[in-house]
Amino acid sequence: MEGKRARWGWVFVAPGLLFFSLFSWYPIVNAFVTSFTNRKLISLKAPKFVGLQNYVRVLSSEDFWNSARATAVFAVGAFVPLLLLSLLFAALIVSLRGWKRPAQMALYSPAVLSSVVAALIWLVVFDPRGLANQALNGLFGTPGIDRRWLADATMAQISTIVVYVWKYVGYFTILFVTGMGKIPDAVNEAALIDGAGPFRRFFSITLPLIRPTTVLVSVMILIQCMKTFSTQYLFVQAGAPTGPIEVMTLAIYNTAMRDLAIGRASAMSMLLFAVMLLLSWLQLRASRGGEDAL
Amino acid sequence: MRKPSIPKRPSELALFVLARLVVAGAAALILVPLAFMLSASFMPASDIVSIPYRWIPDGLRWKNYLQALAGNDGSWLYARNVLNSLVVAGAVAATTVAISASVGYGFAKFRFRGRNLAFMAVMATMMIPFETVMVPLYLVVVRLGFQDSYLGLILPFMASAFGVFLMRQYLLGFPDDIVDAARIDGCSEWRIFRSVVLPSIGPASATLAVLAFRQQWDNLLWPLLVVQREEMKTIPAYIVKFAAEKSADEGAMMAVAVIASLPVFILFLTLSKYFLGGSAVFAAGKE
Repeated sequence: MEGKRARWGWVFVAPGLLFFSLFSWYPIVNAFVTSFTNRKLISLKAPKFVGLQNYVRVLSSEDFWNSARATAVFAVGAFVPLLLLSLLFAALIVSLRGWKRPAQMALYSPAVLSSVVAALIWLVVFDPRGLANQALNGLFGTPGIDRRWLADATMAQISTIVVYVWKYVGYFTILFVTGMGKIPDAVNEAALIDGAGPFRRFFSITLPLIRPTTVLVSVMILIQCMKTFSTQYLFVQAGAPTGPIEVMTLAIYNTAMRDLAIGRASAMSMLLFAVMLLLSWLQLRASRGGEDAL
Repeated sequence: MRKPSIPKRPSELALFVLARLVVAGAAALILVPLAFMLSASFMPASDIVSIPYRWIPDGLRWKNYLQALAGNDGSWLYARNVLNSLVVAGAVAATTVAISASVGYGFAKFRFRGRNLAFMAVMATMMIPFETVMVPLYLVVVRLGFQDSYLGLILPFMASAFGVFLMRQYLLGFPDDIVDAARIDGCSEWRIFRSVVLPSIGPASATLAVLAFRQQWDNLLWPLLVVQREEMKTIPAYIVKFAAEKSADEGAMMAVAVIASLPVFILFLTLSKYFLGGSAVFAAGKE
């Protein structure tokens, strides 16, 4: 009887295991092996084992470090405002009594859009005669100045960050709201009775108590930023300068699909994977029991 | 629960006022580009870049929407691509729920040798970024001969490790007694899953379905790899091409954006519970 039931367990699990072996385990092993070969996408010649040659070539190429820099600039540039703003918004939203839900929905709404649609809207906003220039010129009283949002190298980096922060700040705010919702009301009420002000309550109660959430969300933001692709791809297609926003995913895509060098692309993707693993490991170390953060 | 009342202490009053001001300001600022998309979608291109921008269009220019659907060349490709997105995202949502429910049930309610190892192996795949496996996946799909087809677009996303995790967690809390009672009544294992377990996992299924649908609605990278034929493209790939065309009219561009956003916004407004539901958004894995 027990044996028969155990077999049924396998029956329910089997389709999934088949799926994951074909579409997760096999490809990751394959990517690892391919990264040590000179495999080309369209080639009749059998790929040859070339040892660490791909890694050496990638790590000593200027293009790779350029996209590593572009990714780092983007990840850090988006990480800081995303984390600070979402913490702030969450703390304020939690203090609201009514209107909590509409406020959350409004902040969250850009996250519902596709990344490509978000980038498309901002493409028009960043037009030389568009809203972005108009708003800044109105704010600073400098009529007619074009800030070259998509033409200038540094501005293109800032523009991609603006799009990303706009799109995801609400999403991460919700995560913090959920985390803060777990703090018992009684704790805050006791502090209130003891005369602790809003700042004191935030820094001495909220922040320490949501530490697991903060660690988890920080790593999520960083990893997600490192995987950014759509915004940069659309802006480049629409004529923005490539160099400053050719993030790692874009470089991998170009190496594989344009240069057809999938050995080298695999080496790059393994390096990206390694950095993400390192980040996740740091998170796990920083907060044991991170899974019950939310 | 305290009643909402205006606080008397000065610092609390400051928080009370400031919280409302900042949240309202942030919400307004965040909604501006969305309002812009909507208002610009009804304007001729010349009005969209007028200085200063006039938010209310002079009239509803539905022509933009016609042009968006018909495309610059009148091929109606966009209409076809929207349909493709609906098919792919819908199919992925359905299969993800079905497979994840089955696997999650197997892991949650049966003891068998190798169970923990298999579970860990599935969970480990959450760590793999899609960018790392996309080329081998592409080669798998090519070898199966599924380029330029719905199958090719759907296959790699038919199940998700996060979905398995979600379903297992959810079903761990499902009482064993109910399953055993059905067994004693002579139900077959398959029937128990279909008629007892499946109907009781509604919230988890909805969360997962919404998540899977949105991920595929947003997916650009995979369709770029696996689809070359224009009529098999999905919305994101179409938009990239459309935006790069020099002749693209900005009004039509915004109409394209509105059409692409409508289905997900309808989902958002009707099922916002499953969007804002905390742990659901912890969607590690495939983008």
